[in-house]
Amino acid sequence: MISKALFSQSCKANWIKWLTVTIATCAMLAIVIIVLGNLGINDIRDSLKNIFVQADQESTLKENAVDSYDLYLSSINGYESLEKNINFIIVLNSTFDTQVNQIEADTGKTLTREERAVIINQITDGIISSGMLASLGLDDVTARVFITSYLTQYSDDELNGVKIPPATIEVEGQIITNPEYITYIKNLMKGAFLEVIYNNAYLDYINKGYNEQESLNAADTAKELSNDAIENYKINGSPSIYDYKTDARNAVNLVMKNETIESLQNSGMTDEEIEQYAVSSKVISNTAISTYQLWLEEGVTVEEAKSHATESISDQLDTKVAEALSELGNMDIYGLIIGSIFYRIAGLLLPMVFVIMVSNNLLAGQVDSGSMAYVLSTPTKRRTVTTTQMAYLLFALFSMFALLTVVSVISVWVVGGNAFAINYGEILLFNAGAFLTMFAIAGYCFMCSAIFNRTKYSLSIGGGLTIFSLVCTILGLFGSAVVPSAMRISAMNFFNYLSIITFFDTVSILGGTLTYLWKFGVLAAIGIITFIIGVFRFDKKDLPL
Amino acid sequence: MEEVIKVKSLTKDYGENRGIFDISFAVKKGEVFGFVGTNGSGKTTILRHLMGFLKPMKGEVKVLGLDSWKDSCEIKKYVEYVPGEIAFPDLKDGTTFLKNQAQLIGVKDMSYANYLIKKLQLDPSANLKRMSKGMKQKTAIVAAFMADKDIIILDEPATGLDPLMRETFLELVLEEKKKGKTIIMSSQMFDELELTCDKVALILNGRIIDIADINQLKNMPYKFYKVEFKEREQYLKFKKLKYEIVRDQEKYNQVTIKIQDKNINKMFNDLKNYNLKFISQVYHNLEKHFKDVLSTQKDSYIYKEEESKKELRKSKKLKKRLLKIENKQIKAKNKKEDRDDK
Repeated sequence: MISKALFSQSCKANWIKWLTVTIATCAMLAIVIIVLGNLGINDIRDSLKNIFVQADQESTLKENAVDSYDLYLSSINGYESLEKNINFIIVLNSTFDTQVNQIEADTGKTLTREERAVIINQITDGIISSGMLASLGLDDVTARVFITSYLTQYSDDELNGVKIPPATIEVEGQIITNPEYITYIKNLMKGAFLEVIYNNAYLDYINKGYNEQESLNAADTAKELSNDAIENYKINGSPSIYDYKTDARNAVNLVMKNETIESLQNSGMTDEEIEQYAVSSKVISNTAISTYQLWLEEGVTVEEAKSHATESISDQLDTKVAEALSELGNMDIYGLIIGSIFYRIAGLLLPMVFVIMVSNNLLAGQVDSGSMAYVLSTPTKRRTVTTTQMAYLLFALFSMFALLTVVSVISVWVVGGNAFAINYGEILLFNAGAFLTMFAIAGYCFMCSAIFNRTKYSLSIGGGLTIFSLVCTILGLFGSAVVPSAMRISAMNFFNYLSIITFFDTVSILGGTLTYLWKFGVLAAIGIITFIIGVFRFDKKDLPL
Repeated sequence: MEEVIKVKSLTKDYGENRGIFDISFAVKKGEVFGFVGTNGSGKTTILRHLMGFLKPMKGEVKVLGLDSWKDSCEIKKYVEYVPGEIAFPDLKDGTTFLKNQAQLIGVKDMSYANYLIKKLQLDPSANLKRMSKGMKQKTAIVAAFMADKDIIILDEPATGLDPLMRETFLELVLEEKKKGKTIIMSSQMFDELELTCDKVALILNGRIIDIADINQLKNMPYKFYKVEFKEREQYLKFKKLKYEIVRDQEKYNQVTIKIQDKNINKMFNDLKNYNLKFISQVYHNLEKHFKDVLSTQKDSYIYKEEESKKELRKSKKLKKRLLKIENKQIKAKNKKEDRDDK
């Protein structure tokens, strides 16, 4: 199937082209990788990224401050409404006691903590289904937490032998509610209320995507703040009598400052720096709260006021500008230059020229000049000629890309291996993709060379379309996703549909998706089919030799 | 003798009366068969069919009983070929090329190749691209002949060779002929073919007009002589003798006579009594033979067909032109009328 003499003839005729193209492409690749690796071209990107990260942090800080402020005020309101409904809670106590006593009398045993918990659950279920707590402004989940927590404290006190003051006392012959009992109930109530706050804050943070520890810490802080608020309420009374705004602000500022200091203590910053940072974060949160207050006073809704108070740089910019900047910050410049520019355009150009010239020389050129006569006047089948020439073309291409792969891997290693923005796997896939692209192009050029007897047709149709593909890829680059949206002209993406190189999907490779795999398959199929057509066509045509 | 090559009503029509039409001939073993014809008459096309490079449209081409298209690879084991257009593969020098070619053919013993190189005074170490036309031709000849196969196909093999080298080459062909090889060659030089061939086919416009047998031509039982007399009376007197006069040039007192070999002494005896200016033999060679054939063919259908086609084309063009002119005139008229109306 393969003629050794013809193979060596093709090698001798084309080795200089091969060597030139291979050396030039390898050198280009090595320079691109090494130079890029040492330039730190991601600096601008990183600082942009920092701005946005900081903006995000600031926004979170402001949000926390406003939320905490809200929490402080709402705690007071919530607790106040609970106190107003204290009679209802007293009923809870007696319901629980009656049930426990009844069961204990029936069975003659003291109930364990677990058995009491069952009763607590039953009572809770009953109350929630009756909808009584809706009047307190508590939803089902909150209500469950509140009642369970309240009754559990009460039950634990009973079990632990805490002296519970009697509900009523006789004063001067009259039976009145025991004030000590009320104080006791209020304490339990406060505990349960804080439990609700804690629980809500925890769930809130988990839902926002924070991890377990962070959420627990945040819940602790919320509980503390809420506790402060209730203590303050106990001293100063109802919000209708006393304005809590300033107190709330001060409390929040203190909490924010303490939190910042705590979180930065292990960051390696000096105490002075931490203090400074804490002050600035205090100022930021303070500003946010003031803004929030001011907006609320203007009569806007809570949501609106909150969004005004918490907006960061990126919120202040026009959405398009903000998106473009943040995209620029997230752009992978190495991926763009090495993947989309080198492997899809610059690095393909010379191998393309090689393939166009050589595939033309292998068949059409020899038929056109007539030198093919010397091969075909010997006992060599046409099929042998085509398979030999195809084998040479593939061998040349494969060895070229094998070398390119070695050079690219070494270059990446020199630059710093996996610390480099592009890892070994990606660079290998780039090489494989570029090889498959060239395989498809080689198949197509070979087919043209086999079909046409004249160099001019073979070159213009085979080579012309190949170069057309490359030019379309260059133009299409301005419309593709790799170019930042600020520079992108999406209409130019049209050119990508005209180019075979589009099947080499560097974006998918860098993005870690698997779409590039079926596109590789398409490239391989194009190559195989065109090579087969070329081989069969050459068997059947007239040769002017 | 066994027919090595047999071509039957081979046709390849490229349109516009170009191509080859209804070609039939046979070449026996050990025969040298020549093709002669003007440029573009179709010699090369016939040879390409023999080599299996072109697929016949009609008819069949058999070499050693094998179909030249289907079994072209098998046939190449017995055929060597010097193409008409000399273009070498992209290799460094002649030596590399010849070695490569030997490898492709399967020749291991280069002694015959070296003999050929010496005989043709070829310097194969020269750069292939810088070779002169003659050198290229010699290299191509060596590349083909070194295979030492039974059938040799040569497409205008002597072009570009200097006269001396052409002699050597013809010697070489005769050597091969002596070895019993079958040779088919095309050429534009009659003397080349006359010297080497057994049969020569004349091709015109893709058709074989005539196949001449050289041996018959050479061994014709009569000769032609041209005689010029010093005096007019003698000239007139000679004409009265019963010689077969082929050509009569009254102006110069010249006659060309055709005479049977056995009557040659009689002629000289007759001429003794005449005062001659000169006498010379007119050789009836291949060239003359074909010219004769062509002059009779001039009225034949081929010419007529050709010419009628040309005339048809011309008349079509004329008609088109006339139509255009008419159209223009009509338009001009119309415009004038429009203006007048205004």
